[in-house]
Amino acid sequence: MIKSTRRDFLKYSAAAGAALGTAGLSNLALADEVLKVGAVYVSPISEIGWTKQHSLGVDAIKAAMGNKVEVTTIDSIFKPQDAERVFREMASNGNKLIFGTSFSHGTPMQKVAPRFPKVAFEHCSGIRHMKNLGTFEAKYFEGTYVAGVAAGHMSKSAKIGFIGGFPIPDIVGPANALLLGAQSVNPDMTCSVIFLNSWFDPGKEKEAANTLISQGCDIICSMTDTATGVQVAGEKGAWSIGYASDMAKFGNGKHLTAFTLDWSSVYVSAAKAVAAGTWKTSERWQGLADGVVTMSPLNSALPADAVAQVTKAQKDIVAGTLHPFAGEIKDQAGKVRAAAGATLSTGDIRGINWFVNGVVGKLG
Amino acid sequence: MSLQIERRAEPSSLMRVAAPLIATLLTLVVSSIMFALIGHNPLDTLFAFFVAPLLSMNGLSEWLLKASPLILIACGLAIGFRANVWNIGAEGQLVVGAIAASGVGLFYPDPESPLLLPLMFLAGMAGGMAWAAVPAFLRARMNTNEILVTLMMTYIATLLLSLLVHGPWRDPDGFNYPQTALLPNAAMFSYFDATYRLNTSIFITVIAVVAMWFFTERSFFGYKMSVGGAAPLAARYAGFKESGSVWLGLLISGGVAGIAGMAEASGPLGQLSAQISPGYGFAAIIVAFIGRLNAFGIVLGGLLLSLLYLGGEAVQLSMGLPSAVTSIFQGMLLFFLLASDFLIFYRIGRPVAAQGGT
Repeated sequence: MIKSTRRDFLKYSAAAGAALGTAGLSNLALADEVLKVGAVYVSPISEIGWTKQHSLGVDAIKAAMGNKVEVTTIDSIFKPQDAERVFREMASNGNKLIFGTSFSHGTPMQKVAPRFPKVAFEHCSGIRHMKNLGTFEAKYFEGTYVAGVAAGHMSKSAKIGFIGGFPIPDIVGPANALLLGAQSVNPDMTCSVIFLNSWFDPGKEKEAANTLISQGCDIICSMTDTATGVQVAGEKGAWSIGYASDMAKFGNGKHLTAFTLDWSSVYVSAAKAVAAGTWKTSERWQGLADGVVTMSPLNSALPADAVAQVTKAQKDIVAGTLHPFAGEIKDQAGKVRAAAGATLSTGDIRGINWFVNGVVGKLG
Repeated sequence: MSLQIERRAEPSSLMRVAAPLIATLLTLVVSSIMFALIGHNPLDTLFAFFVAPLLSMNGLSEWLLKASPLILIACGLAIGFRANVWNIGAEGQLVVGAIAASGVGLFYPDPESPLLLPLMFLAGMAGGMAWAAVPAFLRARMNTNEILVTLMMTYIATLLLSLLVHGPWRDPDGFNYPQTALLPNAAMFSYFDATYRLNTSIFITVIAVVAMWFFTERSFFGYKMSVGGAAPLAARYAGFKESGSVWLGLLISGGVAGIAGMAEASGPLGQLSAQISPGYGFAAIIVAFIGRLNAFGIVLGGLLLSLLYLGGEAVQLSMGLPSAVTSIFQGMLLFFLLASDFLIFYRIGRPVAAQGGT
């Protein structure tokens, strides 16, 4: 069977060579007009979630540039070995701008980028940038802080349950800020944390949500790639906080709010800059003020004073007068990490590997 | 009315050759219908799936790079499978091999040393063997089911890796992200050509295939193990000890899987992170069976499975087919292959009246 494939291979290769040759020419002819953009997704595009929001960013490029752009996407690329192959393939197929959308795409992109100096690479959640590799990331913690304020008002047991994919700073920071937001309303709030070690494992996530609820948590926030946490909370009568997309329709009326991600501005500005020849590598970390993080409509069950306080927190963060990680902040051991009047530095937040006082659980 | 499965008295030797061809043909027919139903020209799609990925040097390099660990691990597994030693946990042994090898690579005092790579090779092998020695001991001494133990050891290995990359081995300059620092250059296999990712670890696989062929077809011990697998009572009567097969089957397959893990760390990965294997340890079980536990069959099986991965990506990139469709296609091919294999040895028929069907 392999033999017949090989024979076919020999037979077709001449024809294919000719076909590729002409295709290459036509690409050259169009090179001035059509920008080829590639995007690599970590999971399949579903109705909601991380990859869905990235696909909306790609759609925004299509909407903004119409027939001036040709987009190629591939999903379910998670392991670094596979990612490097796909990035090479995309770069050698004439894509001039390539997006990687997972932390695990980082090392592969760092290896591929120097080989294709004329291709612009953009890495979401990346930490190292190069001459032709830019990084962008959202300040999730601003969204969780605002959601935490709502949680502080609505929780009767004063216990939040948080489910995270992996114990990385991009999840640990938001979990901390969620609790800090809640504590700004009710200083007795605590937050129990469970990590799944997977972005997509609905079975495990369901178990985790059930465990947290049975421990008395009446607010569930889940930073994974599914709506499972929101669903389980809705079934059990607990409040929920959605992530990445508005998950209200999964929440059985108990969806408090969601901190959603809108990458359109990042995708479109990168594509336009590459098309205009002005793209430069940069490191972007954007939040509520830039519209990359947005809050979905609040649940109508929130009393007026809660709505006012949530809205004020959001406005103050946008205005820069409120910082979720403003001191005094103590860690689980009671050690002061940010003194009163001080704020955690950007580097400290991006590399955060400790929980604030009141978090129940361990890293990893 | 019911159907029953019975063993064929004599498997047809013609069908043994024809079965894979029939399976391929069935896959092509059914998948063509599927591609046509979702609005793609079947011929174009099949071309994009099976041929286009291999039309460039880069494609060939990627093909071999992905096939190499599959073939390597499957060679080790097949030796055990022939003796009825069911090591399902090659994935875990691969992970431990990668951990042990990377530990040497990261912490050896002289990162420039030419000895680094050979030491990592030994560490990877030893790591895989050590992980497989636990189920071997339990099976040989206490008759514990090695399928369960090897499988569960895989989860332990994954968690051990997670513990290391989240904790003590985390890159100090890496913003606390769960990955180690990059391995030094002396810890990496060299490329044939810097443009492509294929590296010299492919020679390990070539040697393993030849060694496996020699061991199973030409050595006395290989013969003993096969007899023990095919006819345990006869083997016992002839004085062949079962525990020897258990130890050897698990240590060889574990050691080889550990080497594959080392080759991933010193090849395409270059560092450890929380996820290092795209399921090679499990896919290699399929490869071993597609290859009928035979060295050269395994080479073909590994190349086929690797091409299925590449083809699945290629049709996503070039034709925009969703990844689910490619998974269905891959599943279909494996289903037909294994089903036709089954029908060589068994037939499905109506039960004989005397046995009383309901």
